[in-house]
Amino acid sequence: MGKAVAIIGVGQTNHGRRMDVSYPDLVREAVLRVYEETGLSPNDVDGVVSGTMPSMMEGVALTHFYFADAMASAGKPILKTETCGSTGVSLAHTAYYWISSGMADLVLAVGHEKMTEGDSQATMTTVVEPWYQRYFIAGAPGVFSMQSQMWSVRYGLDEKKVRDAAAYISVTHHDSAFDNPYAHVKIRVTAEDVKNARVITYPVRLLDVCPNSDGACAVIFASEEMVKKLGLKKVAWVKGLGYRGEEYFFGDSDKAVWQSAVQAAKQAYDMAGIKDPRKELDVAEVYNPFTFQEMLFYECFGFCGLGEAPDLVLQGTFGRKGELPCDPSGGTLCTNPIGATGLIRTAEAALQVMEKAGDHQIPGAKLAFSHAMGGVDQFNGVMIVGSER
Amino acid sequence: MNKEFKTIKTEIRLPYELAYGATWTRFFEGMSNQILYGSKCEKCNRVLVPARTFCPRCFIDTKEWVEVPQQGTLTAWSYVNYRYFGQPTTPPFIGALIRLDGTDVDFVHLLGGFDLSDFEKVRKIVKNGMRVEAVWANERKAHIMDIRYFKPLA
Amino acid sequence: MSKKVAVVAVAQTPGAESKDNLYDQAYHVTREILDKSGLNREKVGTIVSAASDIFHGGISCANSYYWETTGAFLKNASRQDGESLFAFFYGVMRILAGHYDTALILAICKGSENPENDACTLMFSDPFYQRELGIQETIAAALQMRQYMDKYGVTKEQCAGVSVKNFRNALGNPYAHKRGRYTVKDVLESGMLADPLTELQVAPKSEGIVAVLLASEEAAKKITDKPIWFKGYGSSLDNYFLGDRNLLEGQLPAAAARAYKMAGINDPRKEIDLAEITEPYAFQELLWCEDLGFCEKGGGGKLLESGITERTGRLPVNPSGGVLANNPYVSRGLQRVVEAVLQLRGEAGEHQVDGKRKTALAHGTHGFAGQCHAVAILGS
Repeated sequence: MGKAVAIIGVGQTNHGRRMDVSYPDLVREAVLRVYEETGLSPNDVDGVVSGTMPSMMEGVALTHFYFADAMASAGKPILKTETCGSTGVSLAHTAYYWISSGMADLVLAVGHEKMTEGDSQATMTTVVEPWYQRYFIAGAPGVFSMQSQMWSVRYGLDEKKVRDAAAYISVTHHDSAFDNPYAHVKIRVTAEDVKNARVITYPVRLLDVCPNSDGACAVIFASEEMVKKLGLKKVAWVKGLGYRGEEYFFGDSDKAVWQSAVQAAKQAYDMAGIKDPRKELDVAEVYNPFTFQEMLFYECFGFCGLGEAPDLVLQGTFGRKGELPCDPSGGTLCTNPIGATGLIRTAEAALQVMEKAGDHQIPGAKLAFSHAMGGVDQFNGVMIVGSER
Repeated sequence: MNKEFKTIKTEIRLPYELAYGATWTRFFEGMSNQILYGSKCEKCNRVLVPARTFCPRCFIDTKEWVEVPQQGTLTAWSYVNYRYFGQPTTPPFIGALIRLDGTDVDFVHLLGGFDLSDFEKVRKIVKNGMRVEAVWANERKAHIMDIRYFKPLA
Repeated sequence: MSKKVAVVAVAQTPGAESKDNLYDQAYHVTREILDKSGLNREKVGTIVSAASDIFHGGISCANSYYWETTGAFLKNASRQDGESLFAFFYGVMRILAGHYDTALILAICKGSENPENDACTLMFSDPFYQRELGIQETIAAALQMRQYMDKYGVTKEQCAGVSVKNFRNALGNPYAHKRGRYTVKDVLESGMLADPLTELQVAPKSEGIVAVLLASEEAAKKITDKPIWFKGYGSSLDNYFLGDRNLLEGQLPAAAARAYKMAGINDPRKEIDLAEITEPYAFQELLWCEDLGFCEKGGGGKLLESGITERTGRLPVNPSGGVLANNPYVSRGLQRVVEAVLQLRGEAGEHQVDGKRKTALAHGTHGFAGQCHAVAILGS
């Protein structure tokens, strides 16, 4: 296998509606913070990986040009990774391979999105091909609500219990966001609020859905030699990574037992030597734009058995004080600048194992799972980080 | 410095012209004649609809064309109740996954033929596993909307 | 590099419009390269594709659409945007890291379905300033050409000579989109687009689905007896605003230096036997030749006139006809790799260069006036 790789620093913007800054300045905010955090300068890095959502969302194409100055990447080698919603975790993978292959020692990965400037659901519609499915698939919520419905029917889950569990997830994540200084949506909600919110795409209601956020995330990856050279003690070692994709046509693959999610996690577990994820993992940052879908992920990632998630959610198994805390940052449900979101998941996982997560720190976290999803309910990517080499 | 920051309004519209290719040309010709075509993979024996040039899993050319039944079973549905720029279908509508009889993938289309204005009423009518049937438009243009929607069978 | 990576098979579509849809076309190229290398889909380790949404038929998240056409169903695959040499390098890294033995690299751009290249490259401009002025790639190139001729006394006839050479070379390339016998006069008298650029000095809008199969040393032995080895790679990105940059002192020397260092090349004039470079505008071939160290600064025009860069010369440049003859925007960098591989293997057919060639350079650039450059070195 290749060289060991570690995350040594994280910089995030204050996510939210950020019409106070231009898009390049937003990107720069995250980049400045990661350099401030690590004490490094742009001269130190060997290459930059940039990534975002499609150009329709940004209103600018090939944004590695647009952000060349904001990322301080002029004169440097560059890669531009894009895999739709999973872009963020794919950025982390690209940085990993750049170093693991021996081609670099320090790489900056930057994910970014300024959602309030574009029209996210209109963009999602252009992801769907124009011949067959564009007329029927209502952006992301349409796809995801069909998927969660398929899942609850498959296991004969009681509709009320599923609804209660999804509401529980919404309430607890919204509470967690108050402990994350970078989170976007900070509102207290009750289970009743969630259950009475407006229907977006049945069964998904307004408070089951992530917001549109502006935000960027910058992460510095380093080789083992560089970690030693810099004398760093607290870093997040990359322990495992996995990625899988399915067919484009929605309807070709089963989405209740979602094979791309199952197999992406398995690839990462195999590399990290993880046999029992619920026992061995200390915390997980699951990409959860929809409350219902989050439960499906728990099952596909082996955090629990198929059809078991709602019961365990209601028992608090995945809460902040539970057996496997999920999304203590408030997750995607409270902050979703899409091109950055997957990288924020990996960054949050790294902060946990570096014991730098502040008020949302899970005490003693040593092994953390991060994840992102993308395409037409099509891609899943995972990165696992740990405090031990 | 101003406290209010300015924005610029801009819109991107670009023209594209996309080829149907041989397989999809034939599929849509079928639709204009009220026929739904699928492709059968000789290796895994799955029937894929709409018709495909190749099987995504076996990665070989599909050779056999099959006429697919126009009735099927509802696999999943979504009552869509929000609007956005460029949305090609006006809400409320029901997007649906339909497993047409004799096929091995779900066909995506609309559910209709009943009153969609009240969600609570819709919820009583629509159930996964229900049987549905294609309703064709009177005028057909070799387009996916040549089927107006799938209606529930009594 | 402790390990070695080889190109073991290549495939590409012609540049002219096909009535096939992109989805089927991409499948056919993938099928072709798998058949050529005797692999089935299951045996392919990983897949890295290159595509840009702006050049992708109005379908966003490009790789969502073509995912299974590349054989990627339930595989670990990824995508690069803008430049297909990025995908080539990412595939190399995935093998060098020891995770995969083979990597399929695909570049996908069906230019015939897209708006004009200039309509697309206008979207590289920021929405406040450069876009409102209508700055796109052709205008940026015209500004660069004017500076280049003024500074070094390179003549417009010398610039036009690149078009003459490359369209002639393309006569022997069955995949070329444009080809023909033209004189310098023909080129200069073709319609003016953005002075000093005329129509025959500007690359067309082509189709190109281009595939390269990479393999570790061990895996390569089982697939081919003519592996072409990856020797080096370098890239470099320039500042954003056109006015902030020195258009004649760009990023190509930095990108090339990184690639040469990795490949152990000290004197490119002597050690490079053949180059396939990206010259969407004729004069850029001259400027890039200088930046790659094939001649001194300002010497590009004389280099062309010396005949060294002809197909029969010591250092043939674009024996395929280059990007002037075939311009599938995102795919053109990887297409340079494919052409370099065909030449090193002696499989280029009618456009095969003379004599035995050991080391080839493939170059890609995208953006305004060489905004980003990537260079790969390959060797037999």
